[in-house]
Amino acid sequence: MENHEHHHTFQEQELSLEEQEINSWKRKLVWAWIFTIPLAFLMFSGRIFGIELFDEKIMTIIILILGFPVIFVFGFDTIKSGLRGFYTFYFNMDSLIALGTIIAYISGFLNLFDFVQDYSGISAMIMAIFITGKFIESKARGHASQEIKKLLELGAKKARIIKGNQEIEIDISEVKIGDILIIKPGEKIPTDGIVMKGASAVDESMVTGESLPVEKKVKSPVIGATINQDGILYIKATKIGKDTFLAHIIQLVEEAQGTKVPIQKLADKITSVFVPVILAITILSLLNWWFFTGDISRSLGVAIAVLVIACPCALGLATPIALMVGSGIGAKKGILIRKGEAIQTMKDIKTIVFDKTGTITKGSPEVRNIYSKVKEVYLLEVAASLEKLSEHPLSKAIVAKANLKKYKQVKDFKILRGRGLEGKIGDKRIVIGNTSLMSERKISLKDFESKIEEFENFGYTAICVAERNKIIGVIGVADAVKEDSIEAMASLNKQGYKTIMLTGDNEKTARAIAKEVGINEVIANVLPEDKARKIEELQKSGFVAFIGDGINDAPALKQANVGIAMGTGTDIAIEAGDIVLARGSLVGVVSAINLSKATFKKIKQNLFWAFAYNVIAIPLAIAGLLHPIIAEIAMALSSITVVTNANLLRRKRI
Amino acid sequence: MKKLKLLIQGMHCASCASNVEKSLKTVKGIKSASVSLLARKGTVEVDDSVNEEDLRKAVSKTGYKLVSIEEA
Repeated sequence: MENHEHHHTFQEQELSLEEQEINSWKRKLVWAWIFTIPLAFLMFSGRIFGIELFDEKIMTIIILILGFPVIFVFGFDTIKSGLRGFYTFYFNMDSLIALGTIIAYISGFLNLFDFVQDYSGISAMIMAIFITGKFIESKARGHASQEIKKLLELGAKKARIIKGNQEIEIDISEVKIGDILIIKPGEKIPTDGIVMKGASAVDESMVTGESLPVEKKVKSPVIGATINQDGILYIKATKIGKDTFLAHIIQLVEEAQGTKVPIQKLADKITSVFVPVILAITILSLLNWWFFTGDISRSLGVAIAVLVIACPCALGLATPIALMVGSGIGAKKGILIRKGEAIQTMKDIKTIVFDKTGTITKGSPEVRNIYSKVKEVYLLEVAASLEKLSEHPLSKAIVAKANLKKYKQVKDFKILRGRGLEGKIGDKRIVIGNTSLMSERKISLKDFESKIEEFENFGYTAICVAERNKIIGVIGVADAVKEDSIEAMASLNKQGYKTIMLTGDNEKTARAIAKEVGINEVIANVLPEDKARKIEELQKSGFVAFIGDGINDAPALKQANVGIAMGTGTDIAIEAGDIVLARGSLVGVVSAINLSKATFKKIKQNLFWAFAYNVIAIPLAIAGLLHPIIAEIAMALSSITVVTNANLLRRKRI
Repeated sequence: MKKLKLLIQGMHCASCASNVEKSLKTVKGIKSASVSLLARKGTVEVDDSVNEEDLRKAVSKTGYKLVSIEEA
């Protein structure tokens, strides 16, 4: 509990830091330009309008006075942080700006004694542009994390609890496991729980990406932070604080921000030595220009341009900012990217392997077909009355299909393990089970044989129902394919992926399901412990992604180049999988692949621009072809471009 | 051996994050350190000999501020 509160403040602190930063840049920006605009006007008035307002020396003094607060007051943090590098040897971007502006400012003083050209006006402008650039960048960075921020703010703040006969509103942190909470229509469900009373539709789109409202009745699990739509729900809190579904999602998304994408490695190496290298290049350029031209003013201009144009930010931000936007977009849709590396690996995936039960199929059997010599209603009534007394999944499927209000009374009920059930309804002896039970009881399958074979070819389990030693019907039960699996598979096949189903089931059942969803290949009869080895074999012919439900598939998820774990609605298997889908739908796999590819493309674009910028701009500055102000504008634009480009990822349809 | 999350104030460029990371790695008892500029966060794996003050110093040495520490 305490831990949760601490966690919360950690995140709150983080959000407030961002706000502080943006506000601080904004304040500096306004003040810096209040001084810089008149300064620039004075500086250019002579050159542009041909008006000499003051004597040149007086002009220099005025500019030095106007420029002082811009550089040393509003730019104080930058100057301080930059100069610190010169005695700690931890150089950063500020070191370049600080050195550039201070050298330029000092040139104004030297100019008074006719030593060099006056760059002091330029100095203030560089600082003002730098501050402006940082302000725009910090805003854009805030924008980049908007989805993640929304996630942090999604949790309910209050809960209404039932104490005795009274409803009391309490703070969310006071809710304890086992508390009964009441949620009225339109209200937010405070925490994860289970419905005790009432029925309603709940909008879960904010945490699972599921766009349709989900029906809830007694015993249905509900997710905290989702919105109750039209009925009153009484729920019992089952998870609180950092154990909730939402808290897990937030944790996954946050952790992903800290992971690295391999393509960024080179850029990171460069940024770590960038500033000292630029300092060295600056000194060399200065000496070189001085030596060959003898023009100290020109040499200083070149040195200032080199100092201020070089910026490691675009390089350093290229990947993380795109990863942040990408994972935010994903989180909104219930696609949780856990490892940045998966984004890069995804583009090389050739084969996608699916677990069957619970991934392609719902994981629980359903009645798929009925063949009967009597009325279907009667057959189901008889069957369900017996099946009701068993806990077997196949029994549950039949009971669910019959959906009876009242069951017939059954006497002498017996479960025949692995074969079926028997009992008496009135004076009629009923036997329900597989064909071997029928032959054991010497019940003829005449007239039903071809139907049973047909069911088995579809991969159904054929359950025979016999009354008074005579078969009256066959019920075909099978694990049903999730409604959207077919759509997802069609899309993956169209994109040219080789799709394979990996299952412990027998060949016949597996093939039937594969045919239904449109999967290319089947590997059946695989023991759970052999799944990872099969993936390894498939990896010999290219990168493999594995999609599984995360609980028993962990080794295969780890073995695959990209492991995508399916959340089962209210539970998330955090440990398995590089990508986790909050909702157990295969459509999420298609989205996850598209999102990864789109994000990686952005990363590549960003890195290209960042490298291109530095490779072109720095030599131009060394060659003396860039005015220091143009250099500073280019520098500010380089990092803004990278952040803005990442934000454009939102335009992409995933 | 434990994992800590650090919230760091003042980093505003790529070399800032890389500096903090380098500085943290020089602290005795730190097994690994990784700093994210965007998340304003550092993750360190430390053994029990490392105390909060060591981490605070390592961060402030590079010119930034360690705002808070949380066990991950």
